[in-house]
Amino acid sequence: MKLKYLIIALFISLQASAQVPAPAPLQNKPILLTGATLHVGNGTVIEKAAVAFDKGKIIYAGSASSAPTATGYEQIDVTGQHIYPGLIQPNTTLGLNEIASVRATLDQQEVGQINPNVRAMVAYNTDSDVLPTIRANGVLLLQVTPVGGTISGTSSVMHLDAWNWEDAVVKADDGMHLYWPPLLYQTQSETTPAFTEAQRNREKLLQDLDKLFKEAAAFRLGTPNKENFKLTALKGLFDGTKRLYLHADNAKDIIESVRFAQKNGVKQIVLTGGRDAWRITDFLRENNIPVILSGVHALPGLAGDDTDLAYKTPFLLQQAGILYGLSYSTSLHGVRNLPFIAGTAVAHGLTKEQALMTITVNTAKILGIDTQVGTLETGKDATLVVSAGDLLDMRTNQVTQAYIQGRRLVLTDKQKYLYQKFKAKYQAGEAK
Amino acid sequence: MKRFYLTALLLCAGRFLATAQETFPRNGVYDDRPGLVAFTNATIFTDYQTRLDNATLLIRNGKVVATGAKVKIPADAVVVDVKGKYIYPSLIDIFSSYGLPPVIKVQVPYATGPSETQKKGPYSWNQAIRAENNAAEIFRVDAKAADDYRKQGFGTVLALHPDGIARGTAALVTLGQKRENEVILLDRAAAGLSFDRGSSTQDYPGSLMGAIALLRQTYLDADWNAKTPGKEQNLSLKAFTDTRKLPQIFEATDKLNLVRADKIGDEFGQQYIIKSRGDEYQNLNEVKATKATLIVPLNFPDAYNVEDPFDASRVAIEDLKHWEMAPANPATVAKANIPFALTAADLKDKKKFLPNLRQAIAYGLDEQEALKALTQTPARLLKAEHLVGALNPNMVANFIITSKPIFQEDNVILENWIQGEQYKLSEIPADVRGVYNLQVGQQAGLRLEIAGNPDKPEARIAFKASGATDTTKVKGKIFLNGDLITLSYNPDVKKQENTVRLSGWYAGPAKGYQGEGLLPDATPVKWNAKLAKALTVQARRDTIKAKDPIVLGNNIYPFAAFGRTSLPKQEIVLIKNTTVWTNEQAGKLENTDVLLRNGKIEKVGKNLSAAGAKVVDGTNKHLTPGIIDEHSHIAINGSVNEGTQAVSAEVRVGDVINPEDVNIYRQLAGGVTASQLLHGSANPIGGQSAIIKLRYGLGAEDLKIKGADSYIKFALGENVKRSNTQNVTRFPQTRMGVEQVFYDAFQRAKEYEKAHQAYNRLSKAAKTKAEVPRRDLELETLVEILNNKRFITCHSYVQSEINMLLKVADQMGFKVNTFTHILEGYKVADKMKNHGAGASTFSDWWAYKMEVKDAIPYNAAIMHSMGLVTAINSDDAEMARRLNQEAAKTMKYGGLSEEEALKLVTLNPAKLLHLDHRMGSIKPGKDADLVLWTDHPLSIYAKPAKTYVDGIAYFDLETDKQLQTEVAKERQRLIQKMLNAKQAGAPTQPIPTTTRGQVLHCEDVE
Repeated sequence: MKLKYLIIALFISLQASAQVPAPAPLQNKPILLTGATLHVGNGTVIEKAAVAFDKGKIIYAGSASSAPTATGYEQIDVTGQHIYPGLIQPNTTLGLNEIASVRATLDQQEVGQINPNVRAMVAYNTDSDVLPTIRANGVLLLQVTPVGGTISGTSSVMHLDAWNWEDAVVKADDGMHLYWPPLLYQTQSETTPAFTEAQRNREKLLQDLDKLFKEAAAFRLGTPNKENFKLTALKGLFDGTKRLYLHADNAKDIIESVRFAQKNGVKQIVLTGGRDAWRITDFLRENNIPVILSGVHALPGLAGDDTDLAYKTPFLLQQAGILYGLSYSTSLHGVRNLPFIAGTAVAHGLTKEQALMTITVNTAKILGIDTQVGTLETGKDATLVVSAGDLLDMRTNQVTQAYIQGRRLVLTDKQKYLYQKFKAKYQAGEAK
Repeated sequence: MKRFYLTALLLCAGRFLATAQETFPRNGVYDDRPGLVAFTNATIFTDYQTRLDNATLLIRNGKVVATGAKVKIPADAVVVDVKGKYIYPSLIDIFSSYGLPPVIKVQVPYATGPSETQKKGPYSWNQAIRAENNAAEIFRVDAKAADDYRKQGFGTVLALHPDGIARGTAALVTLGQKRENEVILLDRAAAGLSFDRGSSTQDYPGSLMGAIALLRQTYLDADWNAKTPGKEQNLSLKAFTDTRKLPQIFEATDKLNLVRADKIGDEFGQQYIIKSRGDEYQNLNEVKATKATLIVPLNFPDAYNVEDPFDASRVAIEDLKHWEMAPANPATVAKANIPFALTAADLKDKKKFLPNLRQAIAYGLDEQEALKALTQTPARLLKAEHLVGALNPNMVANFIITSKPIFQEDNVILENWIQGEQYKLSEIPADVRGVYNLQVGQQAGLRLEIAGNPDKPEARIAFKASGATDTTKVKGKIFLNGDLITLSYNPDVKKQENTVRLSGWYAGPAKGYQGEGLLPDATPVKWNAKLAKALTVQARRDTIKAKDPIVLGNNIYPFAAFGRTSLPKQEIVLIKNTTVWTNEQAGKLENTDVLLRNGKIEKVGKNLSAAGAKVVDGTNKHLTPGIIDEHSHIAINGSVNEGTQAVSAEVRVGDVINPEDVNIYRQLAGGVTASQLLHGSANPIGGQSAIIKLRYGLGAEDLKIKGADSYIKFALGENVKRSNTQNVTRFPQTRMGVEQVFYDAFQRAKEYEKAHQAYNRLSKAAKTKAEVPRRDLELETLVEILNNKRFITCHSYVQSEINMLLKVADQMGFKVNTFTHILEGYKVADKMKNHGAGASTFSDWWAYKMEVKDAIPYNAAIMHSMGLVTAINSDDAEMARRLNQEAAKTMKYGGLSEEEALKLVTLNPAKLLHLDHRMGSIKPGKDADLVLWTDHPLSIYAKPAKTYVDGIAYFDLETDKQLQTEVAKERQRLIQKMLNAKQAGAPTQPIPTTTRGQVLHCEDVE
């Protein structure tokens, strides 16, 4: 069964040669998927389900028995398989970076501390060799995010099947990324000059930040005769059209950064990273701060921490009633393992549907794209994944089809091509 | 009233001229004096265990003449009555850098190119080998440092220059303030060693294992140098050989290095005296087994600032516990009958020495043991018992005079005599406190009350003003200087310019004070003050508070996170009714039992029973062989790379195993039972591997798998070329150069073997005439490879370099056992197959650097299908916890069956490590290294419920929870205790940024 799909995939890959496959054309015919188990993405599971979509939008998602008649549809029987919303990876440099050790292939970080006007979207490389391998495991949407400095720039939500960055936009300039300067800790009994200086630098940076936010808030209210791109870029934070993603891990840094943003009138705050979020769930809940949690496949921060602490953190946030989504952060190419960090969270307390929500609808809500994606419900984008088995377990994850806005993706990539090429070499060798 | 005028008759320090300066011409009239002094009526400790009461010490010319109750005092002796005082031999610090220049460490750029020795002359190639360094030659008397030592009761120290691995010779010196010619008691009293390269400006050794290798090679080179005179003039090696007969003092920076140091000593028949860190109570049995005498510091850590719970959580449990237990270390060492000396080394502030020593005594150290460790033991170790450490005739007159027994809380060291010369440290201030009847001029009936501290008395004057009924009390000012007294007071505070000023002298007990004065109106008066009532003894003692009883937590094994108060035990275990993944012909067996006994799998079958067995219900669970990680860098102390040279085959990871790395425990929690600890990939020929089982809680040697084959790490590609380092001149920097490194190394190895074989074939007689070939541990290791006694694990990525190494191997006549990482193995699987190499790869890593841009997750599947022994490895302490899941990815990428997939992390790595005869499958007779999973072992939903190594449950989900609760409690107790200590005024320190549990990878060089 699995092999069959694989062979189909490989066949296509050979056709496509070593290139990144061409993006699929617009959906020109309604499609009806039948017979699968439907994971809506909101906790509901429907056995023997059907999903119908046309012009890129879902027109039916529910039990097969109440589905529209197949007339006029391209009907695809996916009996025994599973249908999921396309997975969303927030906070990533995929598309910006190609090979981590080759500087010329890296477009993730601008120089300087304060770059709010820098936009990730325009550097998103749809021809990256890595991207097709990511979607092959069900990840169809990315929040492409600049990194580094203090304010790294503006992210955008992009999808994974496009001719160029313009075509790939799902939500342009969704938010600003602030890397909170962490509190410093003295490590020797005497205060060293280096420590004092570091502390002074941090204070200065925080003052600069505060000034920047105050001036940006004031700037948008007047009619200045000179444009200032940096201040203008921050405007959306004060009217709620842009989110502020606060990158912080330590409990105190989280509290300090959230307080800073609140005092400066930021309307929508998202904690990103959030290693210690589980320690301060009351604070997060009372202040209504959602979390994009990094580092599930991670060692605990401290030697004495619970060995499985990082694996359990999603469950701890779930129990505390925090809205959170997961971000795969171990490596860039590893983002294709996003479903598996959700699977790990299942092994450590979540239900499978809760875990699915952490990589679909929860993230969609946090990024502000949940009216469009995140669940498989009528009216939303037909951005979905079909897997032969449980998507969250590598043992069974086998994506057979994937659609972005109703367009059926060609699920091949460079790696499958190389696999085929060398398999063929050895088969020929055996024949000799 | 007590007075102590001991010193009145004596001369200041530096006035006696001793004989040692006889060769020096003198300017002026000779002033040699006999230095003949008799101290009478003292309590004298002639050595640490012999006490003489009411005795006399007679010294002459810097030497002891006699001690005893009936010493005849020569008529020309200066007699000093020290009644009520104590005399001890002065203390000896056997580990000091007194009078020696500071060691300035240089940040050396790592592995950027060959760095040659900056020391000109016929010395070692490596600056860390400085056996020729003789402390006596660079020693300079240092008045300030000597004074700090003297105040703590020291009279003699061993001055050892703490620079380098072979540090040269140390001098035994007194702390006298004289010419170097006089204070040096013994030149070349000991030789120093360490694992620290000190001030060397060379990059080799860049790792702990490199330092150990260099020391080992130095022993061999020195030996060879001695046997082949004239071959190479090398003063460092010559000195190394010459000084081997001296006491060898090894500075170990912690308890693990202590054991490592002793091991090196054992290899070369040398028993070191080892300076410890003061943490040896943590692995006492191993420390005792070294049979080394220790030099134990008294450097006890300050409490941490733990008020903030978020911040306090960053303090590791071992640091919390060490704070509590460190003061008990000397007592623990003593009670274990480990011979030891004590040292003030490591104390930034030498003033802390005696207080810390008293603390150690309060924590159970016997006072006599303490005195021994500071007198007789160091003297004995340095073969200087005839000179110092006791007060026997003809010994150096080094002693201290104290007011109380030396270790008593309120003791004061009054004088420190060094080589017969007095250094006055403190005087007991005359205690004049009490109530006096004061008469000033005509005015009688006044009362003078002297209170406060003896050294800072406060005065009040009480009187009845004329016509008043009540007594008025006013503060006065009092100043005492020996027998002189100044007293002033204003009898009526309402008036300005109304001070009575008195000056006087002490006129003896009967008369008290008397003298002259001036009243406010300038009328001269006479005055006197006679003691009415002295301060009572009871009142004085009130200031000394009762101490809390000392409570200590339990030792834990290992002394780290998840350490236990007792180790899990080997039992007979019967795992019932589970799904057994045998990795054998039988495949997967449902509803099966497995019996473990004596660390082995005894039986696999249905309905087994065994008397006395602990029954484990395996229903709905799965039992697999333990996971074996072919490529790991956990549990290693120091850098994993000695990449300073292109070939570093001489270094051994086995020398630097860190059995306390919490990652061992974390990986047990992920089902790993054995790991190959590899050298990094910074150079083409790296270092020797260690293969361990994850027996968390045991010592480094006990982790090693006995009888396992020997391995070595090779590496190819970007890391070896130092591609991501700037300004590199180290060869090689291309894949072309890498090939040449291999050819060259193996060519040299062959020639080396030939030379040794030729020599060994010679007759005994011929050997005496022939030149002994030099032993070279680097080449010896390569010879082992050529002779199939050591096996290669080669880090590799791209097909060209893999093919290249295969060709080199074929031509030079060796085999590559395993290509590790081998992400392009799928491109050359046929060639690897022909060679007979195995493969150990990542499941799905790629694109993180240029040489992995063609890596594919189907790699393992292709190599497996081509018949290569294929494994999946981690190279990462986090991923190692999920190797079962990484194996499962081969089902997804390449369609392996679940049983084949499981073998990639169990049986196949066992084969690659030549351990499949005892590990990797579930079969009677094999090691009971097993994992009981909560779910299908290749599923992401599975966790190990229990992980057995040698039949011992080193990890157990339930026990893990208990352990966490216990540790939380212990932390809470210690934190509360620290808070109390801080409240009571104990010094504190900021919370350290811990690097424990840090993760190392192939590419890490520091």
